[in-house]
Amino acid sequence: MNLPGAQKGWSPDMLEFSLIAGILFGLFFALVGMGLNLVFGVMRIVNLAHGDFMMLGAFGAFWAYNLLGWNPLVTIPVQGLAFVLAGMALYYLLVPRLVALKDFEMISLVLFFGLSQTIEALAVLAFGNNPRSIFQPVFGQAPVHFLGRTFPVAWPVSAAVSLFFLILVYFYLYRTRAGYATRAVMASRDEASASGVNVDRISALTFGLGLLLASVAGMLSLFMLGSVSPDFGGNITITAFAVIVFGGLGDPVGTVLGGLLYGIGLMVMESYLSSWANILPYVLLLATLLVKPGGIMGKEVRHV
Amino acid sequence: MSSEAVLTARDLGISFGNLKAVDGISLDLKPGEIMGLVGPNGSGKTTLVNLVSGLYRPDRGEVRLGGRKVTGLAPHHLARLGLNRTFQVPKPFHTLTVRENVELAAFYTRQEPHTAEKALEFTELAPLADRLAGSLNVGQQKLLDLARALATGPRILLVDELGAGLGPMELDQVAAKLLELAGTGVALLVVEHLLAFLNQLTSRVLVMNAGTRIFEGKLAAAAEDPLVVEVFLGG
Amino acid sequence: MFRKPLDLGLVVLIPVLFALAPLAYNNQLLLFNAMVFLALAQGINIIYGFTGYLPFGYVGFFGAGAYGASLTVMFLHLPAPVAVLLGGLTALALGLVLSPLLRLSGVYFAIASLAASEAVYYVIANPGLVNITKGPYGVSLDRVYSPEFSYLVMAVIVGLVTAVVVYLKRSHLGLSLKAVRDDPLSSETAGIDVKRQRMLAWSWSALFAGLTGAVFAWQISVFYPGTVFDPSISIFAIVFTLFGGAGTVLGPILGTVVLYGVYNLIGITEPQYFQLIYGVLIMVLVLFLPEGIVSLLKRGGANVL
Repeated sequence: MNLPGAQKGWSPDMLEFSLIAGILFGLFFALVGMGLNLVFGVMRIVNLAHGDFMMLGAFGAFWAYNLLGWNPLVTIPVQGLAFVLAGMALYYLLVPRLVALKDFEMISLVLFFGLSQTIEALAVLAFGNNPRSIFQPVFGQAPVHFLGRTFPVAWPVSAAVSLFFLILVYFYLYRTRAGYATRAVMASRDEASASGVNVDRISALTFGLGLLLASVAGMLSLFMLGSVSPDFGGNITITAFAVIVFGGLGDPVGTVLGGLLYGIGLMVMESYLSSWANILPYVLLLATLLVKPGGIMGKEVRHV
Repeated sequence: MSSEAVLTARDLGISFGNLKAVDGISLDLKPGEIMGLVGPNGSGKTTLVNLVSGLYRPDRGEVRLGGRKVTGLAPHHLARLGLNRTFQVPKPFHTLTVRENVELAAFYTRQEPHTAEKALEFTELAPLADRLAGSLNVGQQKLLDLARALATGPRILLVDELGAGLGPMELDQVAAKLLELAGTGVALLVVEHLLAFLNQLTSRVLVMNAGTRIFEGKLAAAAEDPLVVEVFLGG
Repeated sequence: MFRKPLDLGLVVLIPVLFALAPLAYNNQLLLFNAMVFLALAQGINIIYGFTGYLPFGYVGFFGAGAYGASLTVMFLHLPAPVAVLLGGLTALALGLVLSPLLRLSGVYFAIASLAASEAVYYVIANPGLVNITKGPYGVSLDRVYSPEFSYLVMAVIVGLVTAVVVYLKRSHLGLSLKAVRDDPLSSETAGIDVKRQRMLAWSWSALFAGLTGAVFAWQISVFYPGTVFDPSISIFAIVFTLFGGAGTVLGPILGTVVLYGVYNLIGITEPQYFQLIYGVLIMVLVLFLPEGIVSLLKRGGANVL
């Protein structure tokens, strides 16, 4: 990853820059992980196609901008609705069939891996295998000056959009009836079902929400990560998984914390040890799974 | 029959968080002896079995097999030393045949191959030997779990709720089998809810509540012990 | 060890057929790559088919083997066959280092192994290590270049990995691995040392990927880190194994022959169409034919090895 604003070399100001940039990126990475974690929370399924849905979101915003002249911020609600519907349809198409199978966690992993390959192949066929990006100044020309440092304007805008959606998720989960039911399903599918929650409907809704968040995060990737190509999915899925494992699987609040710490860690590494920064998500994932598999807050995932 | 204890547990204890699941339990088993282990749900019976069979490592106390200290050894190691167990919810190897299930246990505990065949005949599973274990019903899976344990040639067998889910006829048959087993010198620790079933097997019981021993002695005397009565009825 | 003539037949016949094939068909590189994928598919089969651990990052061992062999040639100036052996041992060592991953349950193991292979890739490709690994600039083994010799060594490795899978299929070791996959606790009480058995399968699997990577490096002789750590190598080998049927000897062979054949028909010129085919294929397989195409033969009453 090459970050336009990151400067090389040692200086005390760099730490300050890294921390602020880290928080901006951290909010973005929290959003990247959130969709994946919600889906995992309600269904115990790792959606390996998460990054591919992000890629589709990015391409949607790219084409809406280039063909229709839509500002990406305008694209979000329209595209988001489409992703919610697609997610719900996909849920009803695949998941009830899966849950009935023995060893369904492993099978669904392989299934979503197949889905990921399919989406990637279709995207290459439809869009060509090239990286795409949107001209940065779509959010305004002037760089932002903050605490004596200079940032590309897209960073705070993306962070603000991420924050907006994270707050939205919070309100959904903690202030609405459906959100309450969603948390019940996350705690225990069986017990939620026994207490009258329509688990399938809630899960489908959550799957839709997960895809919506993926589409927004994908759109923001155009600005935060520079560009998006059809094969963008694989690595960002692992990054998202690293963030949510670090924060605690199935724990939305942990994901925000995990995203922030990951963003800060990444920016500090970009500043001081830039050639090793791309190894961070993998090492973080391995270290968390092996040393503290429940993440900084969550539950055990080991077995005998 | 020797009067030396083949299994000795001294002051076993383990905690999960703040919960003292087993708190200072001791017991002795002689060859051919059957001891009942009873207590309400959550009293720590299965945890005790897990401690003795090596599934959990105790926080304190020790387990000895015929004088040899085996505390904290892995279950496969204990299985090779002649200590085995059955599971409350049996989980046989469902993609393997019944015979393969039992043969593996005999092979990895270095028993003669015919031990496996004997275990199948003893549990009357021989006619089903070529079926996949996954296709057995619950009662048959329990018998297979027992056969798997027997194929390891145990000197001590911990039997965890074998009776649960069996019909009255099956219960009588299983009780007769366990008695026959004890007659060959195998020491049995039998965790059981069904007191009538236990009564067919033994007169000696250990009653647990909240991780501790509240009674040890004759089953008939237990029924008159005020503490036991309170735990079972007053709960 | 080999109870039936078919066992020995497979173990001997496959490498001999491959060794003779260049006489009848002149695209030797294609045949070589088919052997590479066959060996990798069988290596995946050893760990996934018998223990249920699906290593998405299997290519990490392949790459480790390629680099282990290359560094042996470049720095120790040892002959290529020795380098191949050391390449295999490099992967085996990596397998031992990564063995704590076996503590993780299925899904976490699968993703963690992918993360591990990416981590190894980024270390090897790191410009900071250019004096040791040549970093992103790749290595050249032109001093030992020998397409014919390396081709024959690859055929031997294919024979060896087939022999190991046949052995697993026929032995208590293979049966115990399936038992461990079905239920680790019951396995322990059956006297099976669960950790040790998993470690054995993992080590065999890593060793063969390493040997294969090493011979691959020897055959192509010039390559970049991205060539031998390409995640699609794992993906192909996994799909070939799943398609044919994991846990059998014939499954990965059938899977590799059929799908690698399809790949050569359309995959090289139109890779995205091939990706589309196997992507859809995976989804259809796990939903409707989870035990691969060999299970069709079993249903037909055949006794499949």
